[in-house]
Amino acid sequence: MDITNIAELSGNIAVVGYGLAAIGPGIGVGLVVSKTIESIARQPELASRLQVTMWLGIAFTEALALIGLATPFIFA
Amino acid sequence: MKPATSADQLFKKVLGQTALLTGLIASLGSVGGYFVEGINGVVSALIGSALAFLFGSLTVISMLIGRKLSLAGFFGVVMGGWLVKLIGFALLARALQGAEFVNGPVLFLTLVAAILGSLVIDSIAVLSARIPVVES
Repeated sequence: MDITNIAELSGNIAVVGYGLAAIGPGIGVGLVVSKTIESIARQPELASRLQVTMWLGIAFTEALALIGLATPFIFA
Repeated sequence: MKPATSADQLFKKVLGQTALLTGLIASLGSVGGYFVEGINGVVSALIGSALAFLFGSLTVISMLIGRKLSLAGFFGVVMGGWLVKLIGFALLARALQGAEFVNGPVLFLTLVAAILGSLVIDSIAVLSARIPVVES
């Protein structure tokens, strides 16, 4: 029986890694921001405190993104 | 050290402390990098710590700018800054990847050390801050 290719992929698999490194933190930051908006809508007087807490959440999430995007330096 | 009593004060304090820490990691990384691959190691350590400081401080700066705007403006500046930063970082990482003067592991390790160190500073600053519910 002849073997027939029905699909062929070419390129660098690292690109998939870039995508994965962006998708997780993207979801994470989206959750942090949406919950902050909800909280500020409920208690606007707490906006200042909530913004600071949100910033800490974003800092942790983006650290994951930056480390993920820098992994080609050791795995390439 | 006195705790921050307003959000602006907190962000400025974090910026200063992160700059100090990144400078420290850059010097330590340069020494380590020199032993690993001479001048290329030093350059890689400096690039790694500079990237960590640049991209870490952009969030703080966007918070400082965004806080002066309306709520929609605040989220626009912070999220827009985050998006531009990630795209910029990916492009820079791609550009540096094939460069001859870059030692990958040294750059990666200094970058990760600076990022983790700045997270520690952020956490300590937020935990020790005494921000009133209503700011004057």
